[in-house]
Order: sequence, then structure tokens, then C-alpha cells
Amino acid sequence: MSTLYRLFLSNLASRGRVVGLLALGMLAVVVGWAIGMSDTADPLDDGTTMVANLGLALIAPVVTLVLSSAVLGDPNEDGTLVYLWLRPVARWQLATAATAAALTVALPIVVVPLAIAAALTGGGGELVTGTMAACAIAVVGYGGLFTWLGLRIKRAMPWGLAYILVWEGFIARAGDGTEALSIRSHTVSVLSRLADGPRSMWESTMSTGVLVPVLAGLVAIYFTSRRLQLQDVA
Amino acid sequence: MSTEPVIQVEKVTKWFGDVVAVSEISFTLGLGVTALLGPNGAGKSTMLRLLCGLTRPSQGTVRVLGEKPHDNPGLYRRIGLVPQQEAMFESMSGRRFVELAATLHGLPSPREAAERALGVVELDPNDKRPVRAYSKGMRQRVKVAQAIVHDPEVVVLDEPLEGLDPRQRLHLINLFRRLGDEGRCVLVSSHVLDEVERFGSRVLVLSNGRMAAEGDFHDIRELMDDRPHRVRVRTDRPHDLAGALLTSRSVMGARVEGDEIVVVDTVDASALRLAVAPAAKAAKAHLFEVVPLDDDLESVFRYLVGR
Repeated sequence: MSTLYRLFLSNLASRGRVVGLLALGMLAVVVGWAIGMSDTADPLDDGTTMVANLGLALIAPVVTLVLSSAVLGDPNEDGTLVYLWLRPVARWQLATAATAAALTVALPIVVVPLAIAAALTGGGGELVTGTMAACAIAVVGYGGLFTWLGLRIKRAMPWGLAYILVWEGFIARAGDGTEALSIRSHTVSVLSRLADGPRSMWESTMSTGVLVPVLAGLVAIYFTSRRLQLQDVA
Repeated sequence: MSTEPVIQVEKVTKWFGDVVAVSEISFTLGLGVTALLGPNGAGKSTMLRLLCGLTRPSQGTVRVLGEKPHDNPGLYRRIGLVPQQEAMFESMSGRRFVELAATLHGLPSPREAAERALGVVELDPNDKRPVRAYSKGMRQRVKVAQAIVHDPEVVVLDEPLEGLDPRQRLHLINLFRRLGDEGRCVLVSSHVLDEVERFGSRVLVLSNGRMAAEGDFHDIRELMDDRPHRVRVRTDRPHDLAGALLTSRSVMGARVEGDEIVVVDTVDASALRLAVAPAAKAAKAHLFEVVPLDDDLESVFRYLVGR
């Protein structure tokens, strides 16, 4: 599996892609710095809101979408998947190696800039810890989900963006029932609890906030494996 | 050589949505080289994908080495495929690309196996350039090397000679024959009739997703040569020339079109070629053009299907 992991990693970590995604993270750094420099801002409240609304609602899902949807989606579309598929390798190993490679690239690109942004707000060490934990959990959840999406449908980017904007950003905030099915809602809860920042209307417990996104990621890996078993390969 | 079928295809149909790619195809293959011949769009690649388990038949059964190939990773140790698509892992060197295949096949010494396979296709294992910098011919040979690195019993090659120069073609054709002679089942697809002649004697001909012919190449070639041909002759005296041509035994019929054209049907194109000039002389006609109207491969396949 390590061979597959290294292959996916090298395919994903192109300089242009990484720099482009880091630029998105720098946006959070600039906003964090602006909050920290402001005389009127409440560092903890505004810092938590910034991480929730910019980091967990935009940067974490979008960065993970770009990377995870490409890790199997690109070889599936350009036909190189056949060079991995037609080998005596268990499909779950392919799915796990691909997801792990996407997470390896996505985690530092998401977590590091947002942790720096949180630190620059002056919200304190707990906000930084909460930011790192919530972002990492979000990346794990979205990573599995978008790896499956990239394999499942062509042009996964617009569909993934629609999911982020429509489901996570709109429908999932409509009520308790739908919020429980939102990765974003769970990770915002984790952030609020760890940072001791402002509470959102809907909150999961700490363990639920961690478990649900991670479980979503694991279930998605299972579905990616199934998809690899059943689908046609070009 | 064993006569046990290595590949068994029984009444296989594959459709994608409303499109039927292959229809009711049955054949068995043993050891040695078999050519899968057919025009572009005939269903050759779909057939090869079915054999490698890259897609499942909509109806019928496919068995390779006695097993169903779809979702059967254990069987993939025994199959090597050269796919038709161009894309490879472009940033890797040829050796790394083949070594990756060897590693995923669980070979004990992937590097040595890769070097050996590259040697077979006459590529330098120490060439550090990424495959994106390789010529078309080199890329094709890397694809062949990754397909044979694990010494498979079944080798499936989808248009492996496309884009190669004559020397490279000859080398790979000899390699395929050698693989067959060594006791493997080798299936090579092509849409070039003359190319297929050099692979070996057994041929499967696909056209419009159906099996148009199957058997010894020379029998099929004879059948193709014996089919009716249609030739257009342009002359200044079409009626006189048509009359003169009809006295030839090789001519089945002649039709005048417009002021200059005679369309001639024949069962013996060679004999017609010899008969045209004397007929023109007898009719005191000038010949401006003699053009076969159906000498392309497509029409050959159409004939075989309609036979």
C-alpha cells in the first residue's frame, strides 16, 4: 500500500496546485491579522467566528475538495487508473492509499494557515488548539467524501462546490435534523468547545463532533472501495 | 501445445446505454498469437476490456484461465494488458513506470524485473527522462514492458503498433510471436489488415460489434480477395467501353453514369485490371481514370458481415 500511497502523493502534490491552495489559506492569515490589529474586535469571539465562517465553511472543504476529488478522479478520467486497477491489489487498499495521500497534502495546507490566522487574532492558545483540531477533523471527513465523489462522477468540482454551498452552507443550517448531518456543524461545535468561544444555535457533544465526521470519512472509504470493485475502467 | 481454451467467450453482448458495443460474440482461444481485426469502432477495445475484466458483459459469459475476470484481482497476476489510451504516469521514467507494475504484482525484485522487461522491448533501463519526453514508439514499448513484467500467461494488446515506425513494428511483431511460441495466449488488436498477416495465422474479425469471421488468416484473406469488387472507370466513350468490358469473364456487370463514368462489378479485381486496357483499345476509348470504389478495409468488413 505504501507504493500506492507514494504514487498518489506525488501525483497530487504538484507545485502549482499546492501554491494555489496555500494562497487560499493566506486569505485567512490576512483576516486573522486584521482582527488582531483591530482595537474594536473581540479576539476570541471574532477569531472563532472567522475560523468557523472562513476556515471551516470555505477553506477546509474547498482545499479538500480540490485534492481529494483529483486523487482517483484524475486517473479515472485520463485512463491511467487501469495501471493500478489491473493489478492484484485489494480495492480497499487503493481507496485507503488514495484517501490517505489526499489527507496528507490537504492537512498542512488547511491546518497551518488557519492555525496561524487563529494565533494572529490574539484569541489565545485554546482558539489555536480548537482551530487545529476542528480543521483536521473537517479534512478527514471531507477527504473521504470527496475522494468517493471524484471517482463516482465526472467533473466532481462543481458538484462538490454545490454540496459545500447548498448542503453545508444552507440546507444543513435549517434545523437540528439537518445540522446533525453536516460535517461543518460538527466541526464548528468542536471549535467552540475547545476554544470556549461563542456557541452556535446547534451543538453536538465533543465526542459526537469528532466521531461523526471521522465516521463519515471511513464510510466514504468503504464506498470508494465498492465503487472500485463495481465500476468500469477505461 | 495445449488445446485447452485459455479464453472462453460465450454469447457476449455489451451495451453502454442505447449503444450496443459488441453483440452475441462467442469464441475460444488457446495458446499462441491471435489477431483481433476490425475497423475503428468495431468493438475491439470493448472486447479486450471484457477479457481483462475492465467492464462486465451485459449478457453472456467471459472466462479467462477458467475464471470470470471482472473484480478478480487474483487473476490479474496472470494477465498483462497494453491499453490503447495514451496517458501514462507522465512524470515517471520508463523504469519507474515498469517497476511500479512489478511492485504492485508483488514480484520479489521489482527493479530487476523492470530492467529485464525493458530489455525485452529494447529500451534503456537507465534512461532517466520522464515518459512524457519519450517518443510515441518508446511509450508504446514501455506499455508493453509493464504488461509483460510479471510474466503473465495471457497478454492482451490493444492496437500496440499504432504510431510505430516500420523497424519498431517488426521488432514488436517478433516479440508477440515469441511470447506466443513460449506458451502464452497473446491477443493483439489491429485495424490494419497487412499488419495482422504478420502476427500469426489465427484471426478474429469484428465489425459493427459482431463477429464477422474467425479462423485461419489465409482463408479469411482469400475470402476477402474473392469478394465482389466495384471499380469506377472514367472514359470518353462509356457505352462502348461498358459493352467491351462485358465480354470479359471477370466482369459481372457494368453501369454507365453520366457522360464519362462506367461502374464495373467484378469478382476478380486482378483480372479486371488486365482486361480494362484491351477493352478500351477495342472500343477505341480513352481511359482517364480507373479507381476501386470499395478497396478500403471498411468495405471488406461490411462484405464479411453481410456475407
